[in-house]
Amino acid sequence: MAKFEFRLPDIGEGLAEAEVAKWLVSVGDRVTEDQPVVEMMTDKASVELPSPGAGVVVEQRVAEGDVVKTGAVLYVLETETQIGAATGYQAAGAEAVARPAAASAAVPAGAGILAPPAVRKLARDLGVDLATVKGSGPGGRISAKDVERHAAGVNTSPTTGEVGGEPSSIPLGAGQRVRLRGVHKRMAETMALSARTIPHVTGFHELDAGAFADLAARLRRGAESRGARFPFDTLLVRAVAIALRRHPIFNASLDEARGEIVMHEELNVGVATATPEGLIVPVVKHADTLELDRLAAEVDRVSSAAREGKTAVSDVQGGTFTISNTGAWRGGYGTSLIRPPEVALVAFGRIEEKAVVRDGTVVARSMMPMSVTFDHRVIDGEAGLSFALTIRSLIEDPRQLDEH
Amino acid sequence: MVAGDQSDPVDCLILGAGPGGYVAALRAAQLGRSVTLIERGRVGGVCLNEGCIPSKHLSRFAAAKAAAEKLTSSGMPAFAGVPDMAAFQKSRAAAVGLLVKGVSSLLEAAGVTVITGSARFVGRTRVCVEIGEERVRYFDFKDVVIATGSRALDLDALPFDGERIVEPSRALEWMAVPASLLVVGDDYVALEIAVAYARLGSKVTLAGLRERLLPGFDRDLSAAAQRGAHTAGVEVLLSSDPSAQARQADRVVVSAGRRANVDALDLSAAGLTAPSTLFKVDPQLRLDRHVFAIGDVTEGLPLAHRAMMQGRVVGDVLGGKAGAFDSRAIPRAVFAEPEVASVGMTEAEAQSAGVEISIGRFPLAALGRAVIESATAGFAKLIFAMDGGALLGAHLAGPRSTELVAEMALALEMGATAEDLALTIHAHPTFAESLMEAAEVSLGRPVHVRLPKK
Repeated sequence: MAKFEFRLPDIGEGLAEAEVAKWLVSVGDRVTEDQPVVEMMTDKASVELPSPGAGVVVEQRVAEGDVVKTGAVLYVLETETQIGAATGYQAAGAEAVARPAAASAAVPAGAGILAPPAVRKLARDLGVDLATVKGSGPGGRISAKDVERHAAGVNTSPTTGEVGGEPSSIPLGAGQRVRLRGVHKRMAETMALSARTIPHVTGFHELDAGAFADLAARLRRGAESRGARFPFDTLLVRAVAIALRRHPIFNASLDEARGEIVMHEELNVGVATATPEGLIVPVVKHADTLELDRLAAEVDRVSSAAREGKTAVSDVQGGTFTISNTGAWRGGYGTSLIRPPEVALVAFGRIEEKAVVRDGTVVARSMMPMSVTFDHRVIDGEAGLSFALTIRSLIEDPRQLDEH
Repeated sequence: MVAGDQSDPVDCLILGAGPGGYVAALRAAQLGRSVTLIERGRVGGVCLNEGCIPSKHLSRFAAAKAAAEKLTSSGMPAFAGVPDMAAFQKSRAAAVGLLVKGVSSLLEAAGVTVITGSARFVGRTRVCVEIGEERVRYFDFKDVVIATGSRALDLDALPFDGERIVEPSRALEWMAVPASLLVVGDDYVALEIAVAYARLGSKVTLAGLRERLLPGFDRDLSAAAQRGAHTAGVEVLLSSDPSAQARQADRVVVSAGRRANVDALDLSAAGLTAPSTLFKVDPQLRLDRHVFAIGDVTEGLPLAHRAMMQGRVVGDVLGGKAGAFDSRAIPRAVFAEPEVASVGMTEAEAQSAGVEISIGRFPLAALGRAVIESATAGFAKLIFAMDGGALLGAHLAGPRSTELVAEMALALEMGATAEDLALTIHAHPTFAESLMEAAEVSLGRPVHVRLPKK
């Protein structure tokens, strides 16, 4: 028997750390070679790390939620044979995940993934992970057709049972199938948890945002004259941060186990951002204490990085509140799902000229839709309206935003 | 970096022109990269110049003599005289020269720049190449492949003296058959040299350091190799201390493993950590974003054909293709008495992996071809997964095993099952039939051997 320490390999894009998202096995479990053992979460994807060999997981050195550095020992595997092949990196900076080779001279334990070399090449070319393809041939042998079907989004493995929960009247075997993975999979899990556990309430508010838009434009021009940038979201983050300071119950979490509401000292505002990989929420840390210029720079930094797919893990952690600005997509009102363990979220729509009545006269004003969603276990209707009112006053009279 | 030194920018730099390095160079060049290949000796490396090629040349020379002698009982005139080793060495050198020239002309045709010298890193993207005694050139590379190979290790008790106690490569160059020869080692290199010289008339003792010959092979192959060596006239000692015998032998060859050539590379200058023994690489053969390693410097068996496939893969990766070194089957071929070859899992490996297996073993005694050649001692032993019947390993002993193993490697890569092999017609009468028959045995329905009564 040999003990093998499994270390976090470099999982790409120069990331030096990753979060332990989920243990897929428990201490004492027997694992086969290539069996996923732990799911790691990086800024852009969750990665399942396979076991380098067959054996028993005798120790887990890290817990779910821990952020660990590349090279740190994740778990200890007790194996019958020495695991001698690639399980990590000699040097940092390599691009791909080390797929551990077999312990023996050639063939992995058991029949392993049965796919002829040409099919393996096809899978590489199409970016298909053979571990996720069910082979249709004898002994599970994977054919070129299996890979092509998988790449086209047709999962040949019968997963009807895993879709889970309620029986559906629509036969699940029909239609195109796209595998949930990475950021998308994470979104599915988080949002399901949110919808399952949080009683959501959303209020809709229409704000007169003409002065706000003017201020944003002025600050942007000023920044540009200095060669800097001033993202529109900066003032939204600022307004929300001020409102959160005045309404700390919105900057909180519910500790259900202990029956307590935790008011956070830190005020870190996440900005929902569409990326090619999916929706991610990079966080502007200490949004309440940053000078406006610094805040603008920070908003610019995290959102640019997100759009380029270069978000650091630390930049998606620690959020205490989320805003979503759908203006660029001409978004209006919307109900949103809160990101647990947060308790509220504000979504802003597009500022557009609308006919409104002022002093008995119909006039055109620049109006912005705002949707405030909160967790009714923690926040009641009155607090929700009060929070919305504070944001309204900050946006309709935006001088306060520029004063800090 | 020394201030003021001129350096030449290069695209792909490959260190070492052995079977890994030259193949990588050819493939990368084929895919449009501009390749500079650094080699301190001749292209082809140890394999071509002083390993695989000349050793198999010697084995073939000796085996031909043994085969001719075997036929005298069937009426062939007796073999007269002693082998002319000087003439053999001439033909060996000619064969090596021809192949070296072939590799050189391929490299030239592909536009690969070959520079003779020894390289070491002097920066993250820079190497210094010593050319001869005097000259030094610097190259700045975009990508580098470390393919510097390995060298023979000696034993403290038996250090190489280049004359009487030598590494295996030197034993391929002798101009005369030694009257007595001690071969120290139990690997295929030691075994091949022992058998070849015994056949050529030397009094050979093979002193294995471990408890069996060919450790790492299936135990049945170790046993077959030991019996065969005895048949060839080799005295086999196991778990031995060869010091005493070494004093009496005319010549001593030591095959005690190999060591990666990495010390002289000055890896720290490139910000790389030198491995304690061998590099661990990822499936793209990467050590670092622009640093790759292939062949004997990487973890795995130090075999030319493994290095060559890694060379192709790294060439693909350098050429922007989605390459990966993911071969399931790395065959091993031993040119001794009998020929022994193996691919995939051994019986012991399958057992320790907890896989339920079905073994098909077919003795060559039941094969027409083997009877014709008076080579009935061998066998084919195939290991299949009980679940699904996929081939997991093949272990062959007998004439042409080193060729037959290719079919087994293909079967492994294709995920072929016992049924696939059993239902494929193999030409009669050939040794290859033994593979089909062994598959039938594993399925419990052989027609050419009797199954043990239950």
